[in-house]
Amino acid sequence: MSQKHDSHTTDTMIDLELIQRAKRGDMGAFEELVFRYDKQVLTIAARHVQSSEDAKDIYQEVFLRVYRSLPKFQLRSQFSTWLFRITTNVCLTHRSRRKRHIHTSLSQDSDDEHGGRLSEAITEPSGADRRAERTDMALHVAHAMELLSSKQKMVFTLKYYDGYKIREIAEMLDLADGTVKRYLFAATRKMRHALKDLV
Amino acid sequence: MRHDQYKELLHLSFYHELNDDEQMVLTDHLKNCTECQIEGESLKKLESALGQPFEVSDQLLDQARRELRVALRLEAAKRPFLTEWLERFNILSYPGLRVALGCVAMLVVGFAIGYFVFMPTGVINSEGSMRGLDQASVQRSETRVSNFRFTPQSPQEGEVEFSFDMVTPVRMKGNVNDNAVQRVMAQALLNEQNPGARLLTVSTLSSQVGATKTPDKEIKAALIEALKSDGNVGVRKEALKAMQKYAIDKEIKDALLFVLRNETNSSMRIDVINYLEKPFLADRLVDQDILNGLKQSMQFDNNNYIRIRAKNVYEEVIQQ
Repeated sequence: MSQKHDSHTTDTMIDLELIQRAKRGDMGAFEELVFRYDKQVLTIAARHVQSSEDAKDIYQEVFLRVYRSLPKFQLRSQFSTWLFRITTNVCLTHRSRRKRHIHTSLSQDSDDEHGGRLSEAITEPSGADRRAERTDMALHVAHAMELLSSKQKMVFTLKYYDGYKIREIAEMLDLADGTVKRYLFAATRKMRHALKDLV
Repeated sequence: MRHDQYKELLHLSFYHELNDDEQMVLTDHLKNCTECQIEGESLKKLESALGQPFEVSDQLLDQARRELRVALRLEAAKRPFLTEWLERFNILSYPGLRVALGCVAMLVVGFAIGYFVFMPTGVINSEGSMRGLDQASVQRSETRVSNFRFTPQSPQEGEVEFSFDMVTPVRMKGNVNDNAVQRVMAQALLNEQNPGARLLTVSTLSSQVGATKTPDKEIKAALIEALKSDGNVGVRKEALKAMQKYAIDKEIKDALLFVLRNETNSSMRIDVINYLEKPFLADRLVDQDILNGLKQSMQFDNNNYIRIRAKNVYEEVIQQ
């Protein structure tokens, strides 16, 4: 526990130093700051939009916003909290812009018009013998996810796939814990209903 | 406790949000409640349907990083110098100054509008325009004309007006130490799409680098950029070789430490450790940043050999 706390403090100190250097115009420091968190940002985006090209768009938009706003960042909150709040905001607005396109592309199971299939851009966690079956199931899960509202989907993916705590999600989305729970339970209900014939 | 509260506990348990006491309360309840047992089973089935979480591939991450780097460069170029300067010194946080600067900005905008409204449009006429261009190359079709647009107007005495973009192939011959040649090569290193051409560029630049020479700022920046972010590992390696020929300074040191922390290719990380060892041994100089970099590698690098190598170098330096 104490070790975890120590590493957390060290991370915060490193962030702080990099932020201060980046604020003074040190592009290398900004890049290092990006590289500390960018995989998480890209993962959140990819899980939310189900398209590698859209995920890259979100990733870029997030870090451009961070770059533009960093001079005004007052260090009142953790950098990671601020970054993930921007990430979730961009994801939510991005989805509302492209909702119809994504839905269509997923239905057709082909390269979407914004770019490659997400299945080509992810690392499979285990062996390949059941790949076809898993791809089929993943498609059903993707369809089921499209039935969720934007916030339900964001809360569900952050909780189920990314493993964030409800308290952390509430902080990222600027919501009360109870509201996050409500979104989460509603999402669970809808997912169970949508997948009931398959399980 | 009401039944719906147990149900909430059940769902929170599914998401690993219960503490030990709450989990015990739920376990006790589940022993006697068939409805919650069924609900629990249903959640387990959902879990198997949802499958394992995936990770984004390194390839996608690399692509995203490359695209971001380009976007950041454009963003940095777009950023007005004044804004950057004001932000750097936090001047915009003083309300009085903000108002004053706003007034000045409005005045400047007013002058600018006046200038553009009353200035005649900058249309190049055919006699004048082609003077600056190589007419022969246009006629030989070496020059590519694109984005050609007519400006709508009623033709009077055969006059026309249009705009276009022009790309002319240029053949350049000169000494590699020539500043102009080096600058073009530095730009090519940053912008050329063909990795083979980038590799050749960086190795040519590298062959001319010497520790005794004062490095050209632009070349050094291009080499650092290539070392940190080129998508091709061969180009990055060649850039690393070139960097090793320069006398180590803060920028180079930062770039090398960046490689140590972020480079995915382990042989490059090993090269950096080997290189970082040299100035220590030669100058008996202990640099805290380098020590921290080595310490981080010996603790966190995912490659066994690198951890051991970094530890050896670190201990060697500490003992000096």
